[in-house]
Amino acid sequence: MLDLSRLNAGATPDARVTLVETVPFGPAQTVERYQLGNGLTVLVLVDATAPVFSYQTWFHVGSRHEKKGKTGLAHLFEHLMFNETENLPAGTFDRKLEEAGAESNAATWMDWTFYYENLPRNGLGLAVSLEAERMGRLVLREPQVKSEKEVVANERRQRVDDDVDGAVSEILYATAFTKHGYGWPTIGWMDDIQGFTTEDCAAFYRTYYAPNNATIVVVGDVDREELLALLQKHYGPMQRSDIPVEDVQPEPHQTDERRVEVEKPTATEKLVIGYKGPALGDHDHTALSVANEVLFGGRASRMHRALVQDGELAVDCRGWLSTFRDPGLYDLSVTARPGVTAEQVLAVVDRELARLVDEALSQSELDRVKARMELGALQGMETVSGKAEQIGFWDTVTGDPAGSFARVAQVRRVSASDVRRAVRRFLRNESRTVILVRAGAADDDDGEVAA
Amino acid sequence: MIVRVESSFALPLVSVAIAFRAGAAHDPLGKEGLARMAARMIRRGTLGPNGPMTAVQVEEAIDALGGELGAEVGYGWLSIGMEVIERNLDPFADLVASILGGPAFDETELGKLRREIEGELVEARDNDRGLAGRALRRTLFEGHAYGRRTMGTIGSVNAVGRDDIAAFYQRHVCQKNAVVAVSGHITEDRGQELARRLLAKLPEGVPSPDPVTEPTRRPGRTLVFVDKPERTQTQMFIGTLGTHPRDADQMALHVANNVFGGTFTARLMNEVRSKRGWSYGASSRLGMERHRESFSIWTAPAETDAAACLALELGLLETWIDGGVTDDELAFTQSYLARSHVFDIDTAGKRAHQTIDAEVFGLPEGYHARYVENVKRVTKADADAAVRARLSAKDLVVAVVGTHAALGKAIEQAIPGLSSTIVVPYDAE
Repeated sequence: MLDLSRLNAGATPDARVTLVETVPFGPAQTVERYQLGNGLTVLVLVDATAPVFSYQTWFHVGSRHEKKGKTGLAHLFEHLMFNETENLPAGTFDRKLEEAGAESNAATWMDWTFYYENLPRNGLGLAVSLEAERMGRLVLREPQVKSEKEVVANERRQRVDDDVDGAVSEILYATAFTKHGYGWPTIGWMDDIQGFTTEDCAAFYRTYYAPNNATIVVVGDVDREELLALLQKHYGPMQRSDIPVEDVQPEPHQTDERRVEVEKPTATEKLVIGYKGPALGDHDHTALSVANEVLFGGRASRMHRALVQDGELAVDCRGWLSTFRDPGLYDLSVTARPGVTAEQVLAVVDRELARLVDEALSQSELDRVKARMELGALQGMETVSGKAEQIGFWDTVTGDPAGSFARVAQVRRVSASDVRRAVRRFLRNESRTVILVRAGAADDDDGEVAA
Repeated sequence: MIVRVESSFALPLVSVAIAFRAGAAHDPLGKEGLARMAARMIRRGTLGPNGPMTAVQVEEAIDALGGELGAEVGYGWLSIGMEVIERNLDPFADLVASILGGPAFDETELGKLRREIEGELVEARDNDRGLAGRALRRTLFEGHAYGRRTMGTIGSVNAVGRDDIAAFYQRHVCQKNAVVAVSGHITEDRGQELARRLLAKLPEGVPSPDPVTEPTRRPGRTLVFVDKPERTQTQMFIGTLGTHPRDADQMALHVANNVFGGTFTARLMNEVRSKRGWSYGASSRLGMERHRESFSIWTAPAETDAAACLALELGLLETWIDGGVTDDELAFTQSYLARSHVFDIDTAGKRAHQTIDAEVFGLPEGYHARYVENVKRVTKADADAAVRARLSAKDLVVAVVGTHAALGKAIEQAIPGLSSTIVVPYDAE
């Protein structure tokens, strides 16, 4: 048992560490939740399977916290976090990590932003000192902001403007969400990206990058006491910040299907549909995930057989249920084969969805889908970084660091009745948005879509 | 049959990769895509020890056991990968052995596969980076096996018949041509037994001969411009012939390449992204196959920056070849490669897979085991000599996807000493 009194002897109130809870993580491991006096949350899973560890910092800020006209700021800021700090000239942060053998990167999405380093076990001190440095002492200057805006604009061209799937996904969300921040793209509209000032970035940093708005997740071959002492030393001097109450705009209930037809420079037509879906914490989220697996999980799934193998109407088809804190979308996309129209595809999609609504699932199909989902959950746990990401994601969005295991248990309990209830609740035509993509020239307006 | 078992009891999963030393390089001319089609036909029905199973029955059986089965093809290899929840290992092993030992190669399924691939080939035209990479390879290795498309073309895929697939399978998918990597929740003894069991129904056969000749460098500077309308961004590769791990200077070139474009702080990223913001990514890589593969540089600048970015990259390439690396760069990169190597071996699956790499790529003895030692041994003189000897700034291919009317002239002007230009529509292949 770790003696925290020794760590706390002589510590300032902000640096004092408390064990908040110990949470089982699967059958044989536990996650410990600690908190520093300044509000910094720390989740630790000691795992000596390999002589490495993953160090992740999850900030509770994403694109949903932005405002219209300033979209993409959370993502741009993620880029800026790799630049200069008070004690590290530009370029030094990455160089120190690479010299130590690190894999590092970051990601931003609707509800969160996270940064990670995977390092050999002797790099713990380096990871803690570097991450604390950029959380507390980032330097923002005009030339770097200007350069990163260009990089992000290029990223946007690559992922959205010159990518049909990326562009259509953006149109889907912008059409489906009229109020909520999920309607604008995390990468931001191009005009907004190009309009950011250094002061915008500095204000964002002051507001959201603070110990009481962050969770550190450490998984791997680390010494718990050494880790906590390092965290106290490097994060303890930081002050908590007044995190503003989020100005969240709940999405109004959708009562009519929205349909958009776009032309894109693609050889084949595409169909994308977004049904208003549940929040990750909704009691029907698991059952709808099971339904998605029935429809799209592998080559034996209903849609794959109906659209790709037997129907021969599509090249591929995918379904994805959003894992957002607030209600998101159940998002289906199909790429038609040459000569097949999006309407032909839609007719088959509707037929299969109706079958799922009307007919009960057989036990054998349900069992098969559950086995696939169990395999998928285990596959995400092979590396320390995979485990850390699961812990950080679930804790940030739902408050349960072992949410991935809870989800596996929930999947096991899902019945055919649960699936039927969930699909009847969510797969309703009046709450869906349909995007029909025609093969041809791109629409001139690649920017904001008026809903 | 070569078998490697790596045990790890952290998760209740067992993984197996079976590689056969034959791939797209064995496709007959005019029937490109055959190896890949053979690989994809494996799961589309089996004659089975307990009676035939249709493609759908095979898929449902795999899923019901919490298993996964996939197949991949390279130029010199065909690999079958599987993973299963440990409690179902025995029935899954029986199923996979049956699938491998008695594929049905049903004509109806083959017809479906042809049409499926045709759709995929058309869809691939939406992927600009893929188009640029394909244009580079086609031009750099023109007339050589490595220039062929592993997917095939619409014409070649339609030329492949059931007999071609059955003959390919019978010739190459055999015990003596196999390398097996077993990893996960399984002991050494049980892993060895599992490998034997999975391949038990295959013929013993003989190892496949390697039909590939050593590629030669394409002389001069060639531009291949893939013309696609309405591009705001330019996917761009610069490529030349690279090396093979059997070359004595391969490790020196590997280290030098990481100085140039292998990390986030390498020269290329620093100049293109950090200083100028011209591209989201900028990197260089050395390909690996059984023979000398490519060296390539990738960037994706906005159309307005493309010509300047290309000129910059060509200048950086020349400076690197002429001037080599600095002592600081070398020490930094050696530290990065040596220390990050732990992530190449941090799972049982990665460790087991090294055996497959060694066999299918013909790596020299101890390549993986002595990797860190060999990285550290590279001197500045070694690195500089390897870059000068193996790479060329005079003989190279520039592959660009963009809108030719808007950008073609500027790109040509950005390439001093350009020998030839090829303009192809994006849907040519």
